[in-house]
Amino acid sequence: MRISLARRPTRPVCACEATVETRRRRVDLRGVALPIVAVALWWALSASHVVKSGLLVSPVDVLRTAYEQAGSGALVRALLASLAREACGFAIGATAGFLLGGALGLSRIAARIVGPSFDTFKQISLFAWIPLISVWFGLGDAAKVVFLSLAALLPVAAHTCDGIHAVPRKYVELANALRYSRLQLIRYVLLPAALPSIFTGLYLALIHSWLATLGAEYLLVAGSGIGNLLIDGSEQFRMDIVLFGIVVVGVTGWALNALARRVERTVLSRLHIANQ
Amino acid sequence: MRPHRVLRYLLCTALALTSLYAAAEKPTVIRIGVAQQGAGDPPTFGGSTAATVQNQQLLEKEFAADGIKVQWLFFKGAGPAVNEAIADDALDFAYQGDLPSVLARANGLKTRILLESGVRSGVKVGVPPDSDIKSIKDLKDRRVAIFRGTNLQLVADNALAANQLDEHALRVINLDIASSLAALASKGIDASVNDYHLYRLRDQGLARIVYESQHDGPQFTRQAHLLVLDGFEKAHPDIVQRVVNVFVQAAQWSSDEANRDALFKLWAKSGVSYASWQAEFAEQPLKYRNSPLIDPFIVARYKAVAQDALRLKLIRQPVDVDSWFEPRYLENALRAQKLEHYWTRYDAAGKPLG
Amino acid sequence: MTDTAITISPDTPRATASHIGTAGTHVHARSRAALRACAWHLAPWLLPALLFLLWSVGCARGWIAPQILPAPQRVYDTLVDLALSGELARNTLISLQRVLLGFAGGTLLGFTIGGALGLSRTLEAWVLPSFNAVVQIPVLGWLPFLLLLVGVGEPLKYLLIGHAALVPVTLSTMQGFRQAPAALDEVARVYAYTRWQRIVRLVLPAAVPTLATGVRLAFTKAWLALVVVELVASSEGLGYLIVYGRQLFQLDLVMASVVVVGVIGLVINRLLDALEKRLRRGTPSAFRA
Repeated sequence: MRISLARRPTRPVCACEATVETRRRRVDLRGVALPIVAVALWWALSASHVVKSGLLVSPVDVLRTAYEQAGSGALVRALLASLAREACGFAIGATAGFLLGGALGLSRIAARIVGPSFDTFKQISLFAWIPLISVWFGLGDAAKVVFLSLAALLPVAAHTCDGIHAVPRKYVELANALRYSRLQLIRYVLLPAALPSIFTGLYLALIHSWLATLGAEYLLVAGSGIGNLLIDGSEQFRMDIVLFGIVVVGVTGWALNALARRVERTVLSRLHIANQ
Repeated sequence: MRPHRVLRYLLCTALALTSLYAAAEKPTVIRIGVAQQGAGDPPTFGGSTAATVQNQQLLEKEFAADGIKVQWLFFKGAGPAVNEAIADDALDFAYQGDLPSVLARANGLKTRILLESGVRSGVKVGVPPDSDIKSIKDLKDRRVAIFRGTNLQLVADNALAANQLDEHALRVINLDIASSLAALASKGIDASVNDYHLYRLRDQGLARIVYESQHDGPQFTRQAHLLVLDGFEKAHPDIVQRVVNVFVQAAQWSSDEANRDALFKLWAKSGVSYASWQAEFAEQPLKYRNSPLIDPFIVARYKAVAQDALRLKLIRQPVDVDSWFEPRYLENALRAQKLEHYWTRYDAAGKPLG
Repeated sequence: MTDTAITISPDTPRATASHIGTAGTHVHARSRAALRACAWHLAPWLLPALLFLLWSVGCARGWIAPQILPAPQRVYDTLVDLALSGELARNTLISLQRVLLGFAGGTLLGFTIGGALGLSRTLEAWVLPSFNAVVQIPVLGWLPFLLLLVGVGEPLKYLLIGHAALVPVTLSTMQGFRQAPAALDEVARVYAYTRWQRIVRLVLPAAVPTLATGVRLAFTKAWLALVVVELVASSEGLGYLIVYGRQLFQLDLVMASVVVVGVIGLVINRLLDALEKRLRRGTPSAFRA
């Protein structure tokens, strides 16, 4: 028993998802029970017509809507539109954030001049800017992409900067002792050491920009997208469209998360960096 | 953000200047903003001469030979959203209501009103079918949806004032047309100040109309018009004249009682049913509502809107209305099409002239 | 961002100046050092000052149309008007009330659920996968659903804000309770703690830093949810002011309201930041493995 105690990890487990995955492998069935019961109850309630409300659609209705939307191509169009915008915004924002974060991390002067302003800006709710952004950039896709880029930029810049700052001093001293040039220092020491933090930033940026995509589609209504599908559903008073939209949003969010985690794991293992 | 905007502005100014010098240079596309959410597939709207023009593709046909495309842009945010687009220089013409244009003019946007398109319409107040609200007086302390900044707002304010109420006595939520209809249907709000879209809800049994304003006097009517941006007008007066010609033609077709049936069927493509249009234009000749004239009634109404907006603090400085209208093109079109006496001119109080 | 582990940039202000030796330039060096120190203290204000200057000049010179970007003076005047007429106070209080109540409710519920899930393996096995699935849907995804369900009144705002706060708190509470290091088990065994004692005396204090982070994140999300729901459908509040200004094409009102939203969010964030640091500092390091 003492041996097994000693083998237990002494550092706290980081990500909740990791723990969940190990658990799932053992007790898969128990977790599935609750959703099944919930759906069954829902179906029973809607079929029995106990509650008289146009809002209580049955699971069958939602499935039918799903089939219609998927079949008519409306779903694919809306999803592609939203994802395209998000990809665009994420790419621009992540790149800009990476450069900004790098500058803030590497240069003390830049950190002093720009840092506090950036810190402040980070804490202002981004959605309050939407009406201004829509006036400055019009009601179309440009405004949405600007907003999404901002949403992606903030976490990437913050985490890149923090990652660089958190590089242990002894690595830098070793590099200095080995007479690394500035560029070599950045490329071989700082970046790899900061990479886990940068990935956390990218991961957060993905989540935030997906959230921002939805918000932007609610508030800057022109165009097509999943958010528009949701709002249209709520305006046409169709709960089945709304529920279908929610499922799509959830699944897409999960898929993006999973993709980000897979990429992170691959890159880090390729570079032989331990994920903390 | 701001340097980008400055650069864009400088670039636009440079382009505008060069376009002014090359005055014969024609635009490749004419952009018309519509202060309504387009519905149907393809998106369209109804209820005015502008809708007729768009539905019958009259402008597209007119400019096809010149290779100029016509783009109709719909705005779910109605008048206020059109204002943002105008400020952004994203439009050349706009079909908009009286109040939003006054708001824009008060804030320095340079436009010219060419002709009227949809006049003497009113607002309707709808409530859930089982509601205890019977008239405007009962709206006190209730949650009412008013689409702020559109021409619905001022008529609503006037109606409230006539009942010794104002917006502060209510709890006003700003919702666009579609959202307010949904909120009314789901009983999320107590009342909605709306337009002909309410008829559909009434016919479905989802709402009751407790007040219709168009017969109660001039200050309970709202007007809409076609305007052009100053820059475009100076650069392409010939195109402006041709657009106005087309609109006057369509206005005449839309005012002919023989076309009443065809007109409502045309407008029904926007999703607002034939029955709704019948209800909207009940007891009113088409000429009365689709007249494009800029007569003393119209001028007086716009002046009143400007004054009321100032009084209600919707604008911060007074707006000069006289220099805003540009009836030159309209008069040319009327003369050319021999329609000078087709529509009645009304005086400031709404009585027919002569 | 304050403590750098890397000293790559040269020129810490005091370092070089103090090495200048000769008597004649000593006074000169001291004033130069003082100047450097002064510049260092004022540096954070350089960027905002520059932007403000650009804004003022741009508006004065008419580089940018006043409908697109109102002059700073205009925005300031509008802010003063709002404050004097009482509109600002009324709407701010309503927004604050909504966010604080929703946040408190969501956080408490989150503690309960997260605690239950963290402490009971069985409960976690039954409930966690469903919870995870629900969590995948971002807060804003629920807005249309709630709009249909409860309409545009106060419940909509409280539900959305509560949900926004609930999720991070639950997740971090769960994590906090689960991450209790092995050493704690041994301590519990030595002292022969009951289960309840173990939770209250060992697990809870060890979980506090993670909880604090979760609460901090929850507030950010709650504030964000408040702004969005007030922008979409509200009859009072700061978001309502923004919408009012936008509909009436009064950009200065919009900007003034955005400033207020920003300041409030900032202030509360700073407070929670300080609170979090306090709580983290108070944790005895012995419990950290």
